[in-house]
Amino acid sequence: MRRAATTTLPHRNARPGRRWRKPLLYAVMVVAAIPFVFPTWWMITSSLLPENEVLSYPPKLLPLHPQWSNYKTAFANYPLAHQYFNSLYIAVLVTVGTMVFSSLSGYAFARIPFPGRKWMFPLILSGLLIPTEVTIIPLFKMVDRLGLTNTHWPLIVIPILGAPSVLGTFVMRQFFLAIPDELEDAGRMDGLSRYGLYFKIALPLARPALASVAIFTFLNSWNMYLEPLVYETDKNNFTLPVALTQYTDAYGSHLWNIQLAASVTTVVPVLIVFIVAQRHFVEGLAQTGLKG
Amino acid sequence: MHTSKAQPVPQPAPQPVSTRHRPPGPGRFGAWRRKDSVSGWLFIAPQTLGFLAFVVYPLVAVIYYSFHSSNLLSGVTTYSGTKNYSQLLHDPATPSVARATLLFCVGLVAINISAALFLAVLLNQRLRGTTVFRTLFFSPVVVSLVAWTITWNFLLQDNGGVNAILHTIGIQGPNWLRGGNSAMVSVVIVQVFKNVGLNMVLFLAALQGVPQSLLEAAELDGAGPWRRFRSVTLPMISPTTLLATIVTVSGSLQVFAQIQILTEGGPDNRTNVLVYFFYQQAFDNHDFGYGAAVAVVLFAVILALTLIQWRLRKKWVPFEL
Amino acid sequence: MRTRRFRLASVGLSAVCLLAASLTGCSKSSGAGSDSNVSLRMTVWSSDKSQTALFDSIATAYEKSHPGIKSITFDYIPIGNYTTALTTQIASSNPPDMAWILERDAPDFVSSGALVNLTPTLQKTADYQYGDLAPAATKLWQKGDQLYAYPFSTSPFGMFYNKDLLKQAGVSQTPDQLAAAGQWTWQNAEAMAAQVAAHTDKQGLVVRDWDYKTWIELASIWRGWGADPWSADGKTCQFDSPQMQAAMTFLHNAIFNDKALPGPGHSADFFAGESAMTVTQISRASLLAKHPFDWGIVPLPSGPAGASQVVGQAGIGVMTKGAHKQQAADFLAYFSSAANTAQLARYFPPARTSQLTTSTLATANSLLTAQQLQDVVINGIKTGSVLPSHTNSAKIAQLVQSALDPMWTPGANVNDVLAGVCTAIKPALSQ
Repeated sequence: MRRAATTTLPHRNARPGRRWRKPLLYAVMVVAAIPFVFPTWWMITSSLLPENEVLSYPPKLLPLHPQWSNYKTAFANYPLAHQYFNSLYIAVLVTVGTMVFSSLSGYAFARIPFPGRKWMFPLILSGLLIPTEVTIIPLFKMVDRLGLTNTHWPLIVIPILGAPSVLGTFVMRQFFLAIPDELEDAGRMDGLSRYGLYFKIALPLARPALASVAIFTFLNSWNMYLEPLVYETDKNNFTLPVALTQYTDAYGSHLWNIQLAASVTTVVPVLIVFIVAQRHFVEGLAQTGLKG
Repeated sequence: MHTSKAQPVPQPAPQPVSTRHRPPGPGRFGAWRRKDSVSGWLFIAPQTLGFLAFVVYPLVAVIYYSFHSSNLLSGVTTYSGTKNYSQLLHDPATPSVARATLLFCVGLVAINISAALFLAVLLNQRLRGTTVFRTLFFSPVVVSLVAWTITWNFLLQDNGGVNAILHTIGIQGPNWLRGGNSAMVSVVIVQVFKNVGLNMVLFLAALQGVPQSLLEAAELDGAGPWRRFRSVTLPMISPTTLLATIVTVSGSLQVFAQIQILTEGGPDNRTNVLVYFFYQQAFDNHDFGYGAAVAVVLFAVILALTLIQWRLRKKWVPFEL
Repeated sequence: MRTRRFRLASVGLSAVCLLAASLTGCSKSSGAGSDSNVSLRMTVWSSDKSQTALFDSIATAYEKSHPGIKSITFDYIPIGNYTTALTTQIASSNPPDMAWILERDAPDFVSSGALVNLTPTLQKTADYQYGDLAPAATKLWQKGDQLYAYPFSTSPFGMFYNKDLLKQAGVSQTPDQLAAAGQWTWQNAEAMAAQVAAHTDKQGLVVRDWDYKTWIELASIWRGWGADPWSADGKTCQFDSPQMQAAMTFLHNAIFNDKALPGPGHSADFFAGESAMTVTQISRASLLAKHPFDWGIVPLPSGPAGASQVVGQAGIGVMTKGAHKQQAADFLAYFSSAANTAQLARYFPPARTSQLTTSTLATANSLLTAQQLQDVVINGIKTGSVLPSHTNSAKIAQLVQSALDPMWTPGANVNDVLAGVCTAIKPALSQ
C-alpha cells in the first residue's frame, strides 16, 4: 500500500493556489473524518451517562461525572460475560476450521491436476452468490431435526464447511497459484507426498494469505447476526450481536446507556487490535472485497 | 463467482530459491497423476460435502418449501401449489418492497462508490499523516455491525445526538428514522459510513497503480487536473470501479440487521427491503412457506443481477488488466 | 508412511467434524423422557428482579416438595420479539414446557392446538377452587368450556402522572381532583399535557410501549370513543367507523397541533421524569420505586362514549410439544393456587374473584393506596375490556402498523388513512 511513496514524482507546478492546497486538503479530511469517528465517540461518552441524561438537550459531549456503574449493570444484570465467551470461542473455532479446510481445497484447486477441478471450482465458488437468507429456512429445519437448535453447532459447522468458507478457499487458491513450480518440484525430489507438499512447502509460504483469511473469517463470525437470531433461543447461548439488541428494561423499554456500554465492550477490543495491526486488516479485508 | 476477475491480489512473492537445474515437471511422473486424481478429491472432500449439505440441499429444499404451506404453531404442512407465489404477487406490500430494495441498492451504490473514490483521491494526495486518516475512514469496517447500527439508532432518534447538534447550529433536523424519505436516506447513509472504507482501499490501490507517465503526458498536452482525472485516471481504474460496484450491489441486497434495528421496514414499508420482508414473513409471522417463496425470489434476483453484470463487464471495462 | 498418516489425518479430521454433529443430536434426544429428573422451563417477558425472585421462590418450594422435579427455570425473552421467539422455540426441537402468552396472541395459541387443556388438571388439584376464577378473565383463554391457559395477570390500564411536573407547568387541578369532580376527560387530560409541553422542556403525555408501532396500545384511547379495530367476531374491519375516525382525529390533533404527545421517534420515559403523564398498565408501578418523584394514578379518562377501562392480559400455557406435559400442568396448578396468586398479586392482578378486594391487594402492593387500588385495579378489572386480539395476530399487527404510518405526519388525512387500514387488513381478517 505504501509503495506509492517511491513512485511519487515531485509536483512541479508552483501556481499561487499551491500554498493553500495542503491546509485545504487537511481541512477536507478532518471534516470527512467526523462521521466516521463521531459515532464511536458518542457511543463511549453516552455509555457513561445516567439514564435521564442520554437524550438530554444540550447534548453532553463529555460526561463530567462518568457513571461507570453502567458497565457493572451491563455485566451484572445480563449474561454479557457468558455471551462474550460464546462469541469468542465460536469465532476462534470457525477461524481455525476455515483456515484448515479452505487451505486444503484452495491448494487442490490451485495445484493438484485432478479430474473435475475445472468445473468444481466455479461450482463451489457460486456459493458466494447465495445470501444467508435464501438457505436459512431449510438449514433451520435441518438443524432442528438433528436436535441442534439452541446449541452452538450450527454457528460453528455451517460457516466452516458451508457457503461462508468459500471466500477463504478463493483467497487461498489465488495465493497458491502464485507459488513457482520449482519449489514443489524440489520437494518432490525430496520424496514428499502431495500432502507433504501442501503441509511442508505451500502452507508455510501461505502465511500472509492465511492471515487475511483469519481476519475476515473472525470478523464475519464475530459479527454474525441472523444465524444466532434464528438458531439460539436461550440468552446464555446468544452471541454478542444478538445479545446487544436485548438491552431493555423489564417491560421492553430501551436502556440506552446500558446498551451502549455493552456495545463499547464489544467494539473497543476489536478497534484496538485493528489499530495495532491495521495494515494487515486493511489489506486482508480489501483483497477479499467483503460484503459492500 | 464475481470476485474471480478481481483485482490482482497483491501477493508477496515467495522467496526465490536458487535451483541449478530445472527439475522435471509433475507430468513426467505417471504415478503422481494417478495419485493426484485421488488426493485432489480428498483435499476438497470436506468442503464439497459441506457444500452439498449446506448450500445445494437447502437451495433445493427452499424451492420445495415454497410450494407448501405450514403452520409453525400446529406443525402442519400441506402442499399448496403456487399459492405462495400468487400471494406474493398480490401482496399490497410487494410494490413497496420492490421500490425500497431498488432505491436502497441504487442509493447505496451511487453514494458508496462516489464517496469511496473521493476519499481515495484525498488520501492519494500523499500528504503526511494520511495513514491516520486511512485508519479512521476504515475503522467502521471492523466495528461490529450491530453495535454500529445501535449507536446510529441512538444518534438518529428525533431527540438524539445528530438533531441536537444540528439544533445548536440553528438547523431543524428531520425526523431521521420516522420520516417518509429521511428513513431511506438514514439507512443508506449508516451503511455507507460503515463500509465505504473497503471500496476506498480498493480505489486507493487502483489510483496508485495509474502510471505517472500517462498523467504527465496528458499534462504536457495541456489537460487540466479534472480533465486528467476524467480522461486518464477514471478509465484506468474502471476494472476496480466495476468490482466495487458488483460487491456493493450484492451487499446491498443483504442488509438485514440495519433495517431491523433502525426502522423495522417502516414507515409504511418504505425501507422494507427484500431480505427484511423475508424475515418478517418467515420468522415474525411464522409463515415458512411464504417466506421460502420470498427467499426463492431473492435468489432469482441475485442470479439475474450476476448474469447482467457478467454481460456488462465487457462493455464497461475498456481493457482487461 | 508419512504421506499416509497425513492423508488419514485429514480425512479423519473432516469425518470427525461431520460425525460429531450427528452424534450430539442422538445423545441429546435420548436424554429426554425419564420422569425422575425433570427440568421444566417457562418463557417469560419480564426480567424485573423482584418478580424473578418471587418466581424462583415459588419454584424452589415446589422442587422441595416434589423430588421428581429437578429444576424449574424462567427464561426471559424481551417483549419486543417475544411471540416470534416463542413460536420459533415451539417449532424447534427444544420447546419450552410452559410459556407466558400475550392477550393479542391468545386466539392463535388457543386454536392451534399448541396448548394443553388445563381444565382436567386444575379441577382435580386439591384446594384449587377452580370456580373462583373469574369468567371475564378466563374467557379469552377458553375453547368451549375448557381452559387452555391460566390468565395469571389481568392488568388494567391507568394514567400515571407526575405531580412535580404538573405543578411546574402551572397546572391548577391534578387528575385526581378532576376525577373527583367528574371532569376527568380526554379533552382535559390533553389540555393538561399540552400545557406541560408548552411550559416546560419535558413532554406532556406518553402512551407507553406504543412508540408509533405497537398500535394495539392505543385501544386505551379509542375505547373512550367506543371504537374498536374490528367487530366482535373478528370478521369486519372497524377502523373506518365514525367512532374510530373521531378518536384518531383527536389523537392526531393532540400530537401535531397541540404537541400534547411527543412526535414519532421522540423518546420520553415517564418513569425517568421525562413526561408528565403516561398511559400504561398498572403492573408498571414497580418502576416507580426506582424513580422517586411525587406521583399519582387515576383510571383512564372518559371520552364521548363515557368512561371505558381497558385491561391487558397474560396467560400461562403448557405446550403440547413439551416433553413433560403433565408435570408442567401440575406445576402450573401449584403456581396459580390461591396462596401463590395472593403473592403474585403484588405485580399481577389475579383472576380469582375472592382476591379482588382492597385488603388482599393492599397486603401485596405497598406502592398503591387503597383508594387507588379500588379505583384503578378493582374497577378496571371488573368493568374493563381486554385489548383486541385476533387469529393471525402478527400478520395483522404488521399490516395495520404499516397502513397507519401515513397518519403520523402533520398534514395527514385521518379518514383516508383509516380507510386504507381497512383495505389492507380485510383479506387477512376473513382468512
